[in-house]
Amino acid sequence: MTADANSAPAGERRHKVLVIIPFPMSEAEQAQREQQLAAVRTGADIGFEFRPVRAAPSNYVSEHDSVLADASILDAGRAAEEEGYDAVCIDTMSDSGLAALRSVLRIPVVAPGRASMLVALMLGERFSILMMWDRWRHLYRKTIAELGLERRCASIRAVGVTPDNRSLLAGKEEDVFPLLLAAARRCIEEDGAEVILLGSTTMHQAHPFLAERLPVPVINPGPLSYKLVEAALALGVSQSRAAFPEPLVRKTAMVSRMFDTAAALQER
Amino acid sequence: MPRILVIVPFALDQAGVARRKEQLRTVKLDAESEFTFRPVKAGPISFMSPHDWTLMDLAIFEAGAEAEKEGFEAVCIDTMSDSGMAALRSVLDIPVVSPGRASMLFALTLGSKFSVLAQWQPALARYKKAIPEYGLERHCASVRSFDTPPDFDALLEGKQEKVFPTMLEVCMSCIERDGADVICLGSTTMHQAASWLAERLPVPLVNPGPLTYKLVESLLALRLTHSRVCYPKPLTPKLPMLHAMLDAARDFEREPQER
Repeated sequence: MTADANSAPAGERRHKVLVIIPFPMSEAEQAQREQQLAAVRTGADIGFEFRPVRAAPSNYVSEHDSVLADASILDAGRAAEEEGYDAVCIDTMSDSGLAALRSVLRIPVVAPGRASMLVALMLGERFSILMMWDRWRHLYRKTIAELGLERRCASIRAVGVTPDNRSLLAGKEEDVFPLLLAAARRCIEEDGAEVILLGSTTMHQAHPFLAERLPVPVINPGPLSYKLVEAALALGVSQSRAAFPEPLVRKTAMVSRMFDTAAALQER
Repeated sequence: MPRILVIVPFALDQAGVARRKEQLRTVKLDAESEFTFRPVKAGPISFMSPHDWTLMDLAIFEAGAEAEKEGFEAVCIDTMSDSGMAALRSVLDIPVVSPGRASMLFALTLGSKFSVLAQWQPALARYKKAIPEYGLERHCASVRSFDTPPDFDALLEGKQEKVFPTMLEVCMSCIERDGADVICLGSTTMHQAASWLAERLPVPLVNPGPLTYKLVESLLALRLTHSRVCYPKPLTPKLPMLHAMLDAARDFEREPQER
């Protein structure tokens, strides 16, 4: 039981959720990520704690990056259950580390990539993905292929702006928001999208601006993952062990040792 | 003389690597090709969980990341899981070939529907995930297992008399009940059964390891390699970090095990 468990509603234990941030970052940068919590009402009996990984690729544009990302997120979340967390969210649309963490944890592990596409199809028949730059396309293509949703994806459009995974869109609102709006309109008018997905949790600051101006739902992936984790806890469901089998032998201690080494080499 | 690196996906000793290397003898290769087998530094001991897949991607990536600098002209990855292939392709310009997707695509050059012979029940999860990812569901007749736990080191040694007939029986079910007209061996660890099965089956059998050796020779001869548009290079390579991580993992594994 955590100290704040006493403040939970009568008879209910307060749930503690670990949110893994896929890049190492300062507290100020982390605060920009945590702002996503303000975008959505979560239960009084649930608390979210953000934790950056210890080392990571600089961005997610190459398979070189994907392999490192999977391992770094596995490292960050491997002990979540022993640490007393009730669930894990992974703050990236790439779903990096999702399958690996699900295979070693019994508590729900949620990431927004696959989940936002599935939720989009609860709201409309075809979705488009709005991304900062074209180098993220491979991330969505992979998830779409895994889910077999090619026919449901109207388009993937980029605004051609290099993303900053630490300071996010801060200070760039006036330049970037109108570009995102224009691209989203093309997704709807030219490509036939009925739902728009923000292609990255790092775009969350643009969500209110877009949602107010667009005639279709806009999915804000980070906040969606918080609500999905809340739903999983409330419903008492977790990932299927048949889909995410446990390893015969856990090498999580070895993973930890690898990231002790990587963290020492990680440049800030 | 083209030097080709073959990455063995488990941290095996010399005898284990030698058993893997026997695959070379089952196929006629160019006299000039020279294959060097190299095991990974550390990794999972089984291969049935996303935990294992993540670690194997990392380990194989590390083992081959400098292949071009080391003077190799191509890389083969000795696992049907294609672990590490995409990452290696992102940092290497030389051909990187792995037998998973390749053996299914190759099977479709020989017939219209393939079945995959899997080792045991826990191996099925990975095929269930991989085949739709490749977009090949319509061409896959079935995935059936012969229900024998794998031994990634000793392979099928000592189990021939008991296991080979079971494998044959399962292959025949794939053909007769599921409509397969080509069989893919589900793992490079089954190579010892390949010629025995091929002699007895009425349809072609794809032996994945040897297939990669021939594919790599073909790509070199045709001067083809993977598309850079599909496998973009990293903006910031972190290979020194990757090597340090796997060195740490290897050292950790050598420490007295009291965990």
